[in-house]
Amino acid sequence: MKRYLHCLRIASGLVFARASYVAAAALLALVALLLALWLPNLGLIVDVFGSTDVPFTAKLNLALSLLGGIATNFSALSAAYTVAIAVLFGVNAAMSVYSFNRKRAAASSPIAIGAGGLASGLLGIGCAACGSLIGGTAAAFVGGAGALAVLPLKGAEFGLLSVALLAVSLGFVSRNIAESAICPAASTGAPDRREPAVTNRST
Amino acid sequence: MKTETLNKVAVAVVVAAVVVAAAALVMAVRLSDRPDETRVLRLIDERLAETQRGAAPLDEARVIALIEERLPGTKSAALSDRALDARIEKGIVTFVEKQQRAERERPNRLAQAARPVGKDDHIRGNPNAPVALIEYSDFECPFCKRFHATAKQVVNESNGQVKWIYRHFPIDELHSKARKEAAASECAAELGGNEAFWKFADRFYELTPSNNRTDTDTVLPQIAREIGLDAKQFAACLASGRHDRRIEADRQNAVNSGGNGTPWSIIVSKRGKQYPLSGAQPYAAVKQLVDLALREK
Repeated sequence: MKRYLHCLRIASGLVFARASYVAAAALLALVALLLALWLPNLGLIVDVFGSTDVPFTAKLNLALSLLGGIATNFSALSAAYTVAIAVLFGVNAAMSVYSFNRKRAAASSPIAIGAGGLASGLLGIGCAACGSLIGGTAAAFVGGAGALAVLPLKGAEFGLLSVALLAVSLGFVSRNIAESAICPAASTGAPDRREPAVTNRST
Repeated sequence: MKTETLNKVAVAVVVAAVVVAAAALVMAVRLSDRPDETRVLRLIDERLAETQRGAAPLDEARVIALIEERLPGTKSAALSDRALDARIEKGIVTFVEKQQRAERERPNRLAQAARPVGKDDHIRGNPNAPVALIEYSDFECPFCKRFHATAKQVVNESNGQVKWIYRHFPIDELHSKARKEAAASECAAELGGNEAFWKFADRFYELTPSNNRTDTDTVLPQIAREIGLDAKQFAACLASGRHDRRIEADRQNAVNSGGNGTPWSIIVSKRGKQYPLSGAQPYAAVKQLVDLALREK
């Protein structure tokens, strides 16, 4: 855990020293959050935005007012993990791109884990409302809401799993970035002597 | 295969997934079949571009042929240039108006199976209000409890412009007690009328903790007593199961209209345009949809 946080601190110091990565992470987190809040009513949004009769301000007001759903259509737990998923997704993606740009090759495991986390998050999103939306649609193939009924948290498990997977993915990406700095290699425990490009920015 | 190659493949898969998702979104928007002036103008621009490229010169004969195709019965040969222009303009305007009319009258595909409001429905507010808020609800759902207050506020502040229709959508897998509670509300309506139904619903949401934690044996008779119903008749009604079919019909209608979670609501304008709303959305969102429905003349 200590090593995880250490690598995370170094990696985030390196990546987020650049404004472009901060902006990318923030933008992606925002997009993920907006999607999570709009997804249950995406059909309505597409319909209203596609209508030539509705003034633009009314379209905008509707989209913005639906964001208030985080306070009314989510439990405290589901609101917390939805925000966490969005933030972790943004940070993960920005760090993955940074890692790819530096090494010209991205590690497949963190990307796969991150994608799994995101997919799991999608299943968890709908579970805010009773009976679930996205999860319920998927679960319909295996027996409808009954599939959720057997879960102790009634589907919130997907959201929590998503947070865990994204956190693990973030750990992998951080290690990849930071291992060229001061983190010891996992296999030998020996410190890597290579100096980071901008070590002083990490603190 | 080398690790580097595997990594590249993984990146390619993720990029492809993002591209596919974006393409799906674009397709969804395009498939919404929304005609507009931009589309018509684009078509005209395309025709003009074709003409400029010399592929198919838009000579008078071709224009006349197009007019006759679009406006059957027109004696094009007899038209002057000015009349020709007027006809073309009229054709475009008619086309645009027709598309706009079709757009206005197009019922929402997501909610086209919602049962029309009938005399058996439980209605709150002005029964002749131009806008209907049809809610499919589960008495044990905490979000329905939250949305109950929102819907009440919408109706109370609408100055008679909105009526609220309550239908049942018990999610048995999650809330085994919800169906019995729905039956109890129907018994309240049977014994005390529409007003008793709403008194029952209000009091039920006030008293109960949701998530299947209601002590139905205590709470249901208590509410019946509080709202002035005969205890024996209420108990007999509840035991009879005579409202089970109605509750199942409501549930079925909720599913057919696109509901897959509660609360599921459909806001219907006077002309039948439907706005489906999923979940316990805030007052501002419901009000915005009501205003959109009220805009339709």
